[in-house]
Amino acid sequence: MGDEQAAIQVIDKTIMIELSDKFPDVVSDVDVPSPNRAIARIDPSKVHEIMQFLLDKGFDHLSCISGVDYPPDKMEVVYHVTSYSGPLVITLKASVPRDDPNIDSLCDIYWNANWYERETYELYGIKFNDCPYLKVLLLVEEMEGEWPLRKDYAGYPNPT
Amino acid sequence: MTHEATQITSPPKPSEMLLHLGPQHPLQPGPFLLDLKIEGETIREAELKIGYIHKGMEKVFEDRTYIQILPLTDRICYLASNSNNDVYCRGMEELLGIEPTDRAKYLRVLTNELCRIQSHLLGIGEYTTDVGFLTMFIYMVRERESVVSLLEAITGSRLNHNYARFGGVAQDLPPGYKEMALKSLGKLKELIKSHDDMMSSDSIYLKRTKGVGTLTAKEAGELGVAGPPLRAAGVNYDLRRLEPYLVYDELDFNVITQTDGDVFSRVKVRLLEILESIYIIEQCLDQMPSGPYKQDVTPYITRPEPGEVYSRIEDPRGEMGMYIISDGSDKPYRFRIRGPAFATAQALPPLLIGTYVADVAAIAASMDSCTSEVDR
Repeated sequence: MGDEQAAIQVIDKTIMIELSDKFPDVVSDVDVPSPNRAIARIDPSKVHEIMQFLLDKGFDHLSCISGVDYPPDKMEVVYHVTSYSGPLVITLKASVPRDDPNIDSLCDIYWNANWYERETYELYGIKFNDCPYLKVLLLVEEMEGEWPLRKDYAGYPNPT
Repeated sequence: MTHEATQITSPPKPSEMLLHLGPQHPLQPGPFLLDLKIEGETIREAELKIGYIHKGMEKVFEDRTYIQILPLTDRICYLASNSNNDVYCRGMEELLGIEPTDRAKYLRVLTNELCRIQSHLLGIGEYTTDVGFLTMFIYMVRERESVVSLLEAITGSRLNHNYARFGGVAQDLPPGYKEMALKSLGKLKELIKSHDDMMSSDSIYLKRTKGVGTLTAKEAGELGVAGPPLRAAGVNYDLRRLEPYLVYDELDFNVITQTDGDVFSRVKVRLLEILESIYIIEQCLDQMPSGPYKQDVTPYITRPEPGEVYSRIEDPRGEMGMYIISDGSDKPYRFRIRGPAFATAQALPPLLIGTYVADVAAIAASMDSCTSEVDR
């Protein structure tokens, strides 16, 4: 939290301009659909630097990490980042290849990323590099490797 | 905070032992396993294992039409069913490009606040049983009864209300509701004040809860919690104020905060929020405009344009968010539930490190988690 007064001044949409200026080839398709929401696509290899930048700018609350499956060739990791001192929610989407989905872990930036990453891992099979404890959270251990929220999941036990 | 705080890293040394709390434990409604590595009476490491009632709701929702999902959102957490309905409907309204009628906005605020009151009352009630204050549990459940009756009069059900609709609500207030509600809530206000007095002056209770399980504002922010545990640490974070949805910007209310961040403060925040919610409901009943309570045509079969929305609400327990991706068909492509209890549950193990085994019940219950929503 810390310097809240300074944080309030930057919690607005100009952060998206700053973000695309700072990372010109990494951040793309910036969209601001409503006053409190902003969406952008990011390069998965730079997710760590981008989140560190946002944290330094006052976005101190990671709301959620979700996976989305787009067969046949890609998956997305979606981050919702917001702040304890402003209403803007930034949605960042990183596309990862479906045959080898992996992305850097954010656990060292946002402490609470841990469970969200474990959940996304067990449901989609997206590996979070350097996540300190990447194993199943909600599912039973036998179901590790099933990836049930993928669109082509056929049921457990696998009927084929 | 370190990541090691979330799990037990090594087998216990000869001076230590492993203690399993759960999966069946009267701490909270619903099963979970809390493993504690203890040395004497002190907790050295803690690990929370969840997923015993994982229902795969996000997968189920991908296979249901939008209107079929509506009653299922109740079942995420039955104590917050009105909030869950509302956050889903607001997300869908944004996707469909419709707006609820003015009266419906007030009706939703009214039911959301009633829902917050009954959730807090049961939360405090369960917590007081865990600290051995059984009298208060009886009082809280008795008080909750009148609030649930008020909800039942509007929605027709005592749990899982299924009240909000796309663009409106299911039905209008019954005749004579205002008088009934004001009478009932006036009585509740007096009772809550007297319970607050009783809890603030009981020396045994104060010893049990003051300075126990302290979460500072900085730690709470790092742990990513929201709702009463965060406000008890002194952070003025309330989505009703920060991102005013429905008609919260037209209503007068205070965001309740405390400074200590201990077990006592978390419960105190809930008690005072009940009084604040009563004040909001009284304003709603006074200011509510007449007019239709739903759109002329309620869109039951819906095919929203391709797009996505992240809508969120100040749930009784914190920040509830729903991330809906539409691909233009009558079913959502992806439905993500970001529950407040999930975030709170994750913050429990680091909070327990260094405390005594006797305090685990008080700390865990004061976080007011809900296993049904954690597991989804």
